[in-house]
Amino acid sequence: MAVPASALKARRVRKPGQTKTWIPYLFVLPNLLIFTTFIVIPMVIGFIYSFHEYDGLNPMEFVGFGNYTEIFANDEFWSALARTALYALIVVPAICCLSLAVAMMLIQPIRCKGLFRSIFYWPTMISYIIVGLTWKWIFGDFGVFNYLMTLLGMEPLHFLSDSFYANVSVIIATIWSRLGFYMVIFMAGLQAIPNDYYEAARLDGASKPRVFLTITLPLLKPTTVLVVMLTLIEAFKAYPLLFALTGGGPGQDTTYIVQYIYETGFAKQELGMASAMSVILFVLISMFTALQFKLSKGGSD
Amino acid sequence: MNTKMKTISIGMAMVLTTLMTAACAQKESGGGSAAGGKKAALDFVWFSDGNEGALMKGIIEEYEAKNTNVDINMIEVPYKDLSTKLKTMISGGKPPALARISTSELGAFANQAVDLGETNGGLDAYTGQFVDSLKPFYVVNNKAVAAPMDVTANGLIYNKTLFDKAGVKVPTSPDAVWTWDEFSAALKQVMDKGGAKYGLVWDYTPQRWSTLLYQFGGSLMSADGTKAAINNEAGVQAAEFFKKLHTDGIAPTSVWLGGENPNNLFRSGTVAAHLAGNWMISNYKDISNFEWGVTYMPKAKQRSSVPGGKFAMAFKKSGVEKEAADFINYITTKEVNAKYTREALFLSPRKDNAKLDYAFGKEMMEVFSNELNSTAPAAAEDWSKQTIVPKFSNDLKKALSEIVGGKTPAQEGLDEVAGLIDKAISEDKK
Repeated sequence: MAVPASALKARRVRKPGQTKTWIPYLFVLPNLLIFTTFIVIPMVIGFIYSFHEYDGLNPMEFVGFGNYTEIFANDEFWSALARTALYALIVVPAICCLSLAVAMMLIQPIRCKGLFRSIFYWPTMISYIIVGLTWKWIFGDFGVFNYLMTLLGMEPLHFLSDSFYANVSVIIATIWSRLGFYMVIFMAGLQAIPNDYYEAARLDGASKPRVFLTITLPLLKPTTVLVVMLTLIEAFKAYPLLFALTGGGPGQDTTYIVQYIYETGFAKQELGMASAMSVILFVLISMFTALQFKLSKGGSD
Repeated sequence: MNTKMKTISIGMAMVLTTLMTAACAQKESGGGSAAGGKKAALDFVWFSDGNEGALMKGIIEEYEAKNTNVDINMIEVPYKDLSTKLKTMISGGKPPALARISTSELGAFANQAVDLGETNGGLDAYTGQFVDSLKPFYVVNNKAVAAPMDVTANGLIYNKTLFDKAGVKVPTSPDAVWTWDEFSAALKQVMDKGGAKYGLVWDYTPQRWSTLLYQFGGSLMSADGTKAAINNEAGVQAAEFFKKLHTDGIAPTSVWLGGENPNNLFRSGTVAAHLAGNWMISNYKDISNFEWGVTYMPKAKQRSSVPGGKFAMAFKKSGVEKEAADFINYITTKEVNAKYTREALFLSPRKDNAKLDYAFGKEMMEVFSNELNSTAPAAAEDWSKQTIVPKFSNDLKKALSEIVGGKTPAQEGLDEVAGLIDKAISEDKK
């Protein structure tokens, strides 16, 4: 059948091998402009600062690798980094396991499924500062939790003024605020697994743990890798929630690396040193990401 | 892609490019009166603790009515963002004409400030108007880098209802103040008989803690400013006594270890006393569930408070330096400053405004004024060194928290801070 000339004009088909013109670049342009202005340029400037002594106002003084040398001898920096690593070591598996468990529960045909999903998801829509303040009202020495404990005739606990409990409080608040977000990602991953596998396993009489270990977990690997990567990066960048909840205290017991860098840059007015610390943190996070990508082959299987 | 989509894409890109160009573009000069007779636009970066922002707006309106060639734009920021905001504006090449700043920022911005003494008959004539204890703060390298707007002192606010219930009388004369041991015993009585849950809350800042340091005869740095002195016997005694207040249950650990807001605790009516600054009078003005007052602080080796204040600074390279200096001169005149400090319940920094007729808390302001007059000279000397203090003040706060929490002995904690002070002093000399 002959195609009308007008239809051909309206539906211009690209010939094989024909190069795409400037249109795709135009689509990328808005994001590229914003990314360059607010991410790439400040990153380059930060990298330049890291080789200088600079207070943000007076002229910069080139110190070469001086800031980096000083950081390697700075015990407080490494303590803050170690505290952050310990926090990540607890928070990352906890968030992954709990969000997967909740996701598995909430893809079942249960009553009020939507309400339960909302209850878990709502905290992710609240800003970290508000989450921190909310838990401060709960865990504070004069907070809701201690009030209820005293009503029950129990001794109040110093959640935020005791080193151990302060760290526990930070972990609880972090999990509460992030669980819903990763639950949604896991739910999408779980629902993408073909039902045929489960039906076949059921016919073969496989137990539920066996099904989970041999079907769900392997097929969920790309999602799990994504969740682990995102939670790990988030854990190393944690700051606003902790600042609002504990302020980094008691003493320095919940002062993690980003707060330490912030204090160096803005309280001590050592922007060059803080930039060098940020560069080290950037390299560390990049290494984690690269390692995870390598281990998971980019999450492709 | 159809024509419509292409048009939308091009449109979006053009809008974004235009917006970003506009955002990064050079703003037109402030345009002082020299700039072709146009109105001089003065940006005034401001933060408020209480009602003083509203008061300043009224003063600005009056000034603009008298000076029709000037347009003052008040940019209000939270105090915690002040330093970052100013740094961003200055390093971006667009400093504001004016800013209200506290003692913590004076040192950092001193090099960017207009010398107010130069245009006002010389340094001595200019500084002669204001109380002498503030001079080390705003005079940097023989230049008046700012003008004092109000002067602050640390002091003791107490819950009169709880004290009365416990039958404890507070000192009514500066000649009969408590010692710290006597005060601790009095607070325990208020806790036992008056029903106070805690005796004393103490602001979580190293500046407020240093009140105790000066009362014990200590200082942060030596008198000549060449080395740390915080870890001497007086400093260690002050830190150990501070810890004892917590271990004895007089002061709640939740403030210095848990970041609890002492204002909220005092407002709850369950705390006997609050060691804070005179600006809290304005803050507590609305308390109606109990009676409160201000009394003289206890002494150790001597009486002392810590002076501070808020200042107005004019910045170089704003294009309107002269207009900015004129406005500062206006707001620091006897009449305007009296109106501002009286209505905001502040202490005036002007010598000729020593006695103001406050509508609320006149006698409280007099107690704070007395604390200020009884201040050890070391307090102003220490806290005026604002190129050094920010380098260790946060570490001092954390070290004190660890001493209070029993994680570090007082001597060890203060030795570490002394090391940081010495390092900051040697870097400052470079």
